[in-house]
Amino acid sequence: MAHSLFADTSQQVSTVLIAGNKTATFNDKAEYSYEVKNPTDNPQVGIVSYQVFTETGKKLNAEVIKVNIPKKSSGKYDFEIAEPNAGFYKVNFMVNVSDYDDTTRRAFGIRPEELRSNHAMPADFVQFWKETRAELDNVKPQFKVTLLPDSTKDHRNVYLFEMKSLDGLTVRGYLTEPITKNKNKKFAVLLGLPGYQVSLPPMFGTDPDLAIITLNVRGQGNSRDVIHTMRDAYIFYHIEDKDKYVMRGAIMDCIRAVDFIYSRPELKHDCIMASGGSMGGFLSIATSALDKRIALCSAQNPIMSDISNLQGEVNWPLNDISRYVKSRPGLTMDKVMQNLSYYDTKNFASLLTCPTLLGIGMLDPIVPPNNAYIDYNNMTTKKHIIIFRDLGHEVGVPYKAYEGRWMRDTFGLF
Amino acid sequence: MKITKTAFKYSLTVVITLLTAYNSFAGGFPIRPGRLILSPSVSYFFADKQWDSTGVKKPFDDNGKFTSISMSLYAEYGISRRFSVVALVPYVINNYKETNYNQTFSGLTDLETGIKYYLANINYIYYFALQGTAITPMYKNPATGPQLGYGEEGAELKLSFAGSGNVFNRSYYFNVDNGVRQYFGTDGPIQDRYNATFGITLDTKFKEQLSASFGGFYTESNFKAYNKYNPILTKDFAFNQVSLSYGHAFSKVLSLFLTGGQFISGRNTGDGTSASISFVYRVGN
Repeated sequence: MAHSLFADTSQQVSTVLIAGNKTATFNDKAEYSYEVKNPTDNPQVGIVSYQVFTETGKKLNAEVIKVNIPKKSSGKYDFEIAEPNAGFYKVNFMVNVSDYDDTTRRAFGIRPEELRSNHAMPADFVQFWKETRAELDNVKPQFKVTLLPDSTKDHRNVYLFEMKSLDGLTVRGYLTEPITKNKNKKFAVLLGLPGYQVSLPPMFGTDPDLAIITLNVRGQGNSRDVIHTMRDAYIFYHIEDKDKYVMRGAIMDCIRAVDFIYSRPELKHDCIMASGGSMGGFLSIATSALDKRIALCSAQNPIMSDISNLQGEVNWPLNDISRYVKSRPGLTMDKVMQNLSYYDTKNFASLLTCPTLLGIGMLDPIVPPNNAYIDYNNMTTKKHIIIFRDLGHEVGVPYKAYEGRWMRDTFGLF
Repeated sequence: MKITKTAFKYSLTVVITLLTAYNSFAGGFPIRPGRLILSPSVSYFFADKQWDSTGVKKPFDDNGKFTSISMSLYAEYGISRRFSVVALVPYVINNYKETNYNQTFSGLTDLETGIKYYLANINYIYYFALQGTAITPMYKNPATGPQLGYGEEGAELKLSFAGSGNVFNRSYYFNVDNGVRQYFGTDGPIQDRYNATFGITLDTKFKEQLSASFGGFYTESNFKAYNKYNPILTKDFAFNQVSLSYGHAFSKVLSLFLTGGQFISGRNTGDGTSASISFVYRVGN
């Protein structure tokens, strides 16, 4: 008798959960349809239930339904979950029947457009960054560009560039440009900003109209000459002093990259899109808010969003920061939070003036939708949000497809 | 701490740029600022039957045959993201032949100059454009003898809708135009000119494409007569035609289109068959 290593799943009980709309955001009642398929020869007796939680895990609405699903049939259960308060909620749908137990974790939003932070922007936020920018302006960039012939591929030249940034640190990145015989050709620019402790390589793509810059901010990738922390330690590097915090320099590194773009005659200076995910999303919003030379901002799952309200919702980065605070006599979480308010994505978001695209995952364990949506609500510029109801700390292909179409349209690259 | 791998590995993915399926100058799509599209074409039109004023089809009298060879140059230039200017310069050689009659005449006909405005889009996939066009005769009709057109100034307002996407692992595009044209003469007809095109690429590199079109004119005038010797002077007529086009892109700047068309219904007009060859050349940017 032959034995299969794998069970025949087509003969097992399974479930299908469908939200009432594509973004799982509702006015006052979340709607779900939960189907339990029973292809087996046994009736399935038990319960179907859901449990709603706040983003901090507090239990809210729940409902239990007794079910008896005959053999080779299915049961479909429609739920309306009323939540009076605006916000995002976690919800678990569970099935516990004769031959099957399963939990499906999802999230939904209720009137997210009403969400606002209860922490104000520091009164001197704009001044703080104005002074920081003035400090950067006092550092001569000393751009150095090196063609990397061995890296050239896909009909694109690759250049390594380096430049001096805030505090005289050297930061590096790559520029890839389509090879063209047209000496007058000018390229729109994608300024790609890095995720947390990600080393960005040159990026190629297939677009003949687009130059791509990938930047490794200080302490990351090939820009670790001075700052070279352990991976976990980067987020709290000099966090005790808002004037020395690592992100202050990292943001200025991004602005220096815009200076670099402006130094290149073959690049279109009025067609720059800053884009990045996670920490790159944070950097995209911060840089675009502080540097009006950026024409489009695209941010996916930006960290540091409404950071004072992250407590209890997520582990990272607060647990690493808290560990650091405990190791530093005299330093308190309150002091750190006060410093971080100068680096809160929501505060930068309110200063944006360029059109901005934001992508969020409803199941994001690092940037909860409550926090990311506050970034969006703080934006007063032309804006668009794409919500992925079933994704975590990532965005789907439709985001990138939309981003490409949006960029080409805005830059007139028809 | 053990943050999820995703958080640390969250990297940058390259922007996905739109690779346009449309190689032609479909009216609804905007044109890149600074780009000039030039499209020279040669068309051959033939008719030996006609639909009368009641829509009944019959052969031309006395073995009559109408042929027209048209050479034209279409140009469109993007002056900004929203605006482009368009021009069409046509030259025709017309011939009507029947038993004991043979007349050929040729010349520049109606110049079309216009401005196109990119109205709006839906999700950067579907585009709307509005075009205003002036019609200027480049000839003077003689009091007697063959005439190259109505000899009247005119104006047209055209709304276009276009889009592109993917179906069956192929890229497609469509374009729908509807324009209302008024000639300003005594019996200057008012015309509704409509066209719908659907095109699909035959390969993933956008080198080859096929497109099918349906279009026609519905035109009204107080002047009801059908001019069999020179059908282009008829002012009160209508027709529908279908056409099939094959496109080949030699490069990103040069494409070739071969088109065949057939009238399928009409009133007060010839039952035409047409063939054309056109090039599309993109200059700048």
